[in-house]
Amino acid sequence: MDTQWPRWEVFKQDTPHKPHQAVGSVHAADPEHALLTARNVFARRPQAVSMWVARAEDIYAWTREEILEGLATAKADTGLGAACRYLVFRKTTHKRSMTFVDHVGEVEATSPEEALQQAQARFTDSEALAWWIVPADKVYQSDPSQETVESWFAPARDKTYKQQQFYATVGSHISKHKVGRGVEDDECC
Amino acid sequence: MTNAAKEILIAKLTALADDEVILAHRNSEWTGHGPILEEDIALANIVQDELGHATLWYGLRQQLDGSDPDQLAFFRDANEYRCCELVELPKGDWAFTMLRQYLFDLYEAFWLEAARHSTYQPLADAVQKIIREERFHLQHTQAWIERLGQGTEESNRRLQQALEMQWGYAQQLFVSIPGEELLVAEGIVPDLASVKERWLEHSTRHLQAAGLRLPINPGYQPTSRTYHTEHLWSILAEMQSTARWDAEAKVW
Amino acid sequence: MPIKYGVPSDPDYNERLREFEARIARGEKIEPGDWMPEEYRRQLIRMISQHAHSEVVGMLPEGAWITRAPTLKRKMILVAKVQDEAGHGQYLYHAAETLGISREAMLEALLSGKAKYSSIFNYPTLTWADIGTIGWLVDGAAIKNQTMLAACSYGPYSRAMVRICAEETFHHKQGKEMVLLYAKGTPKQRQMAQDAINRWWWPALMMMGPHDKDSPNTEILVRWGIKTKTNDQVRQEFINEHAPEILEAGLTIPDPELRYDEATGNWIHGPINWDEFWQVVAGNGPMNKERLEARRRAHAEGAWVREALEAYAAKKQKTAVAV
Repeated sequence: MDTQWPRWEVFKQDTPHKPHQAVGSVHAADPEHALLTARNVFARRPQAVSMWVARAEDIYAWTREEILEGLATAKADTGLGAACRYLVFRKTTHKRSMTFVDHVGEVEATSPEEALQQAQARFTDSEALAWWIVPADKVYQSDPSQETVESWFAPARDKTYKQQQFYATVGSHISKHKVGRGVEDDECC
Repeated sequence: MTNAAKEILIAKLTALADDEVILAHRNSEWTGHGPILEEDIALANIVQDELGHATLWYGLRQQLDGSDPDQLAFFRDANEYRCCELVELPKGDWAFTMLRQYLFDLYEAFWLEAARHSTYQPLADAVQKIIREERFHLQHTQAWIERLGQGTEESNRRLQQALEMQWGYAQQLFVSIPGEELLVAEGIVPDLASVKERWLEHSTRHLQAAGLRLPINPGYQPTSRTYHTEHLWSILAEMQSTARWDAEAKVW
Repeated sequence: MPIKYGVPSDPDYNERLREFEARIARGEKIEPGDWMPEEYRRQLIRMISQHAHSEVVGMLPEGAWITRAPTLKRKMILVAKVQDEAGHGQYLYHAAETLGISREAMLEALLSGKAKYSSIFNYPTLTWADIGTIGWLVDGAAIKNQTMLAACSYGPYSRAMVRICAEETFHHKQGKEMVLLYAKGTPKQRQMAQDAINRWWWPALMMMGPHDKDSPNTEILVRWGIKTKTNDQVRQEFINEHAPEILEAGLTIPDPELRYDEATGNWIHGPINWDEFWQVVAGNGPMNKERLEARRRAHAEGAWVREALEAYAAKKQKTAVAV
């Protein structure tokens, strides 16, 4: 009865020197709407300079466990022939985080499975716990122009009223009332 | 600046701020009731920006005559407000809200563009801040007009109905306040006639491309910001209720 | 990748389960695609979707006061807070979707009354001070819970919680700031603040769920790293933090038996009225029907909008292919 729009994974780049990172997903009907929505959902607070979106169905994902169980072997040559660019994302730590996989680079391959193999051979500096492989032409990018970055991402910096450090902690400190080793709410993340 | 110009500028800043406050109020009525969760988030962003803009404009007035922004927003009666009638209209359905937002965002975008070179530096500075947020608003609402206009027969019909209702009201955005020509002559604010030209050209094109027909007869067109719809009294009664409930309170 | 969720009748279930629990014990995150027991998936879907529903329904009691906020600043802050709640619901629905359940199915469960959401949001917001009190007490309780869940073994839920935690602290602080201000404000403000505390204290305590002895799910949730503290533990932490602060502000707490126990360092509270809790959970609280009705109406009235977006996207894809 109702509509179920495609899910789009969102990648956010905090600063020009950091890679794009998977921050979560949005539902949207088309690429432009997905980018606008991604900005509203994930750039409410600093920082961001760029966003990418890709339909979840266009992303090939494998965890280390799946790879070890042989679920990522390349299919027999289907004669697709033409190589295309794939973007590679990787997770390397179990540490607590709000992001999943990071962009590490790209490869050229004739299939996602082959792209994964190339990625595994190329990006060896850290053990990979999960991989995402996405055809480059399925990734939509926010406009990189200065004007867009100024209007899409800069305004969040001025919204200081949403940042907890701008609120005075009035009243006695919570540490006075802890029993044993509780977790301070400020220690959360 | 002459005293005469200062008085008119105070009136103009009040009008700019009042538009933002009342429009933000109407948009905030959608919170928790939007058609999609993601759009609740999007409209809430627009509301925050509009409240920020209202604060900036009232702040500029405060620099000129010392009035406190919260006093202006929460303790003036309806007959003292200087918002246009378009922003007072009830939120209607999603098409109504998106169309109003688009018409208003487009006007703001062109007005701000022209106001960047204001000879009054505080205004030029405020415009710099506001203009980048407005760019995103316009992208967002433009996208909605396209999608609702070209979506289904029902969405097109609802958008068309909204346009029939709002087109006449929207013309008031380009009606000067008394004495505004003095501010224009001194380069403090842009000339609304040329802003209107660009607005008419762009909106006509975009609305028609979205599959809408411009009303042949725009109907009622308000001419003065001292005159309001029936709605403003009730809007303010609600908006000001807590502040007025304890007018003694110094801090909230 | 298509995932198979393990059930006890699978031949390799016990071996897989051992390795799964060992992974969790090692502090590893379980990600979509990894083997997991069907029961783990079921528990997570229940918890995450309930959490998501709570955020979205929670927008209503506070959202109602945006139009009556007393200053421009407070209005902006409240809009930001409610926007965050929508955002949190959004992150959580998406985390649940990684377990193979659709947004539509979750919404259907909520709107039909089958799915639960936090009982606290079935109470009415009667004054402006309720907004500050909710920020202080309700979000205060939520933070305790969320801090614990940020360590959850399921990757997508953990990541959503870490993001939520980072944003939630501002909710708590702005609420506390408001109530402390009003407690020292005009007589009307003081009375309003005290009245709000009187109405929200007990529902806030109930937010942390039934006593441990009445919570059947706890044991397995703890073993599988979904919960790391029990309801009573979290509740005790909450009272230890908030009771002295409320009293220090010059306000009273509506619990005549509340006292500080030197020996344990804990604040001991009086009996909780669980009848009220279960009534509210069963749908008989002051606002249950209205909350659900508001969500149903929003969803129904939004159907034509969602259809329009889908129709537009389909048209665009057709033209793209044609070119």
